[in-house]
Amino acid sequence: MIAPKHILGTFDEALASLRNNVLMMAGLTERSLDRAMKGLFQRDDDLCANAIADDEEIDQLEKQIDKDGVDILLRFQPVASDLRRVVSAMKLSSNLERMADQATNIARRARKLNRHPPLPEMELIVPMHAQAMSMFKDSLDAYVREDVELGRAIVPRDEKLDELNRVASRRLIQRMAEDPDQLRGYLNLMFIARHLERVGDHATNIAEDAVYAAAAEDIRHQPFVASS
Amino acid sequence: MVSLLKMPETLPQERPRQIDAPPPEEATETAMIDICNLDFNYGEHRVLHDVSLHVPPRAVTAFIGPSGCGKTTLLRCINRMNDLIENAHISGGTIHLDGTDINAPDVDVVDLRRRVGMVFQKSNPFPKSIYENISYGLRIAGVTKRSLIDEAVERSLRAAALWDEVKDRLEKNALGLSGGQQQRLCIARALAVEPDVVLMDEPCSALDPIATAKIEELIHQLRTQYTIVIVTHNMQQAGRVSDYTGFFYLGRLIEFGSTTKIFTNPSQKQTEDYITGRFG
Repeated sequence: MIAPKHILGTFDEALASLRNNVLMMAGLTERSLDRAMKGLFQRDDDLCANAIADDEEIDQLEKQIDKDGVDILLRFQPVASDLRRVVSAMKLSSNLERMADQATNIARRARKLNRHPPLPEMELIVPMHAQAMSMFKDSLDAYVREDVELGRAIVPRDEKLDELNRVASRRLIQRMAEDPDQLRGYLNLMFIARHLERVGDHATNIAEDAVYAAAAEDIRHQPFVASS
Repeated sequence: MVSLLKMPETLPQERPRQIDAPPPEEATETAMIDICNLDFNYGEHRVLHDVSLHVPPRAVTAFIGPSGCGKTTLLRCINRMNDLIENAHISGGTIHLDGTDINAPDVDVVDLRRRVGMVFQKSNPFPKSIYENISYGLRIAGVTKRSLIDEAVERSLRAAALWDEVKDRLEKNALGLSGGQQQRLCIARALAVEPDVVLMDEPCSALDPIATAKIEELIHQLRTQYTIVIVTHNMQQAGRVSDYTGFFYLGRLIEFGSTTKIFTNPSQKQTEDYITGRFG
């Protein structure tokens, strides 16, 4: 349902601009992660360089969103759903910026890996990438569509990503012992797995912020209940 | 070299101000003012429709809503100020103050207004000295002993955060005070007769931001001792000073709840649209 317009047109414009910047930042972050992972899987240093270069624009957008958010708080003193949208936008931008940092870290590790023959253990990263990106995309969908149920459903999915990371870490530590000549390569893969796990954490944060923005419900830090 | 771990020799004496515990979502405590199915008419024109509201004791309750929604009319019902308006009358429902029906035939209206003080939009000190403004209500109530009146004057002016500013000029005309001081004087005048409830009808609408802040701080101080009901058009003010908020529209109470709830996640779309500035 589309909310009716505010009496103050400038308030609507300011909120729309804030939202557009968040969506642009989300698009750039998704692109940066995509480039970093393609750079890794396709062993393409140019894509890695592009992912690293994206970070600058994303950092600037984070600053712009913070500035615009503070400006809205100052000028319009938003309440209720407007207040939640501003607060969520500012928190979202912080999570997106840290996701973009993870993309940069992955791209840097990928460039190091690309200098050496491919490791078969790369297959451990594939399902983690799929899980992290699907969580990220769904969390953005939940935010854009104000879909509380979708947002809520993302939180438990982080557990699967954590488990994939644990499996990858165990396997890579084992390989380090078996094949110490490839130690650096395995370490780089471990770090990449860790960065993807962090992407999942940020996607979870975004999903939680999406639920708060849409329904004023704080679903963070709830005790985990194992499904029967 | 300065040690980062060195403890201060004396701990700060003044503890940081604690944020008050949020009130319960619904006012479950015994109501100080219990308004039940209230209808109110000006002649044939009904301006309040079936309003039911439980105002909790020793808390600040704000009434918000667009002009003409009935919030001031309801406020004036609580100490029967509307009795002074021709053709204005309650056409249904009841108001109980601490369990007593305020419209019962045996209720002494003067005593009711002593228990339920009122502060108006525009400060209205008597054209008399500061001292006489405060002591007036006590004299009307039959207090004649000078020492008792002196004590009450100082106590009320201190409670209204005005004592330090006027203690050396109590005999000066109250009309010489600034607008903000005059409003605090009116609050002190209301407090002098030790009311249970203080009604405030847009008490800061004519004041500058500094004077407004002083009144708001005063309301914060008084809320532990008095039941305060405030009508305000300033929603930021309602958010700052009140524990509970009622939103009125076209003579009906649309929503009542804790101020935090109303201003972060109201239940009713009309409330949301109003407080976010989508209609007025």
